[in-house]
Amino acid sequence: MKIDDLYPGQELSFTGRLIVMRDAAQMRLKKLYEGGKTLPVELNEAIVFYAGPAKLVKESCGAIGPTTSLRMDGFLEMLFEKGVLATIGKGERSVPAANLCKKYRRVYLIAPSGAAASLAQRIESLRTIAYEDLGTEAIFEIDVRDFPLIVATDVNGSDLFTLNRR
Amino acid sequence: MIKASSIAGKVETALVEANTIMDDKIKSSLYLYDGPFSSVLNENSILAEKLKLPLCQDTGFIEFFVFIGQEISLEEPISDTLNMAVRRAYSTNPYRYSVVKDPLMHRENTGDNTPSVVHTFMVSGRELEIRFLVKGGGSENLSRLFMLNPTTSQEEFIEIIVNSISEGGARGCPPLRVGIGIGGSSEKSMLLAKFALTRELDSRNPDVGYAFLEEKLLNEINSLHIGYQGLGEGITAYSVSIETAPCHIAILPVSLAIDCYLCRKGVVTFEDR
Repeated sequence: MKIDDLYPGQELSFTGRLIVMRDAAQMRLKKLYEGGKTLPVELNEAIVFYAGPAKLVKESCGAIGPTTSLRMDGFLEMLFEKGVLATIGKGERSVPAANLCKKYRRVYLIAPSGAAASLAQRIESLRTIAYEDLGTEAIFEIDVRDFPLIVATDVNGSDLFTLNRR
Repeated sequence: MIKASSIAGKVETALVEANTIMDDKIKSSLYLYDGPFSSVLNENSILAEKLKLPLCQDTGFIEFFVFIGQEISLEEPISDTLNMAVRRAYSTNPYRYSVVKDPLMHRENTGDNTPSVVHTFMVSGRELEIRFLVKGGGSENLSRLFMLNPTTSQEEFIEIIVNSISEGGARGCPPLRVGIGIGGSSEKSMLLAKFALTRELDSRNPDVGYAFLEEKLLNEINSLHIGYQGLGEGITAYSVSIETAPCHIAILPVSLAIDCYLCRKGVVTFEDR
């Protein structure tokens, strides 16, 4: 599937790898990025999931779900500069975030919020890759199967929440 | 004397139930929703209960409202007992630790989801009533305090509340539960708004005028069509609950508190015989 073909409101079932990070980890990445240093995570062609998992039940399965994407808007250009293809979270983002999707031809997807027990069943593996000291706010790599998603912002900056308001 | 271990045990059980079992009224509302993500949300309520997994990965921070009858005696400060209950519930279950020790400088996770926010109120009698909210960050960030002009009309009041929800409601995991505190002082109005969220979902303010205002606000909020998950389908809010208090002639404090679609809360009571 090409990201150029995605349109707002389109429902997807995603199987593959996601990089999980949120507020605290992105704050650290931004400091490194602005200082011209190497980041502890490879983001080229990555899909970033804004989330902080609950404790694991078994090796691979813990409750997980999206957090509010709006809080991450200040880090979005850094992610796109590093080659991130898409971000996943919940809720409406700012106008600058939609403009960044258009500028870099990237997409913003939403995952169901408050559906953590159900989403946990779709995680096949979880591995911490950086900032373990941050607990749930560390950076993780997860492999998911049949993860339910909806396209919120497409590569032209067209946004589902804005369209719904009309 | 009400034993600390008995309080902690009952509160711990109630915290686990609030995190894993969806309220029946929420369940029936969700059952009627057939828009985007409806199947995964319905599946979630079944799986969480069956597998004892949290309904939401944001297992929140806990806000307690404790009403202590003046005739009862306790073994230790109630906040110690309640934090013990939270520590046990969150360390023995697959929940998330979502509390940081220092808010601005270090933000280091406390690693056991404590401390909780504990509000105590001394009342008459020999009963201990503990109400709590399992409060997620997304809905908490929509809290607002408006210090209005005392001559504000009801229409202006409605407009302010509805605009605030129109602007941020989609980020609070709707359908929302709306708590409003009017009067008191700046901080008192917020306490009232939060306390309103502990009321039964379908309860009405005992004053007819305020009950009518709750209904009117609910209709206006639902006309925003924010919908489940902010995707425009289904209801936007379950209910609006208003609590009031007397206030100074020059002020009209109004606080808005929002709970997410799960409305995770509980009440535990004890009697000191």
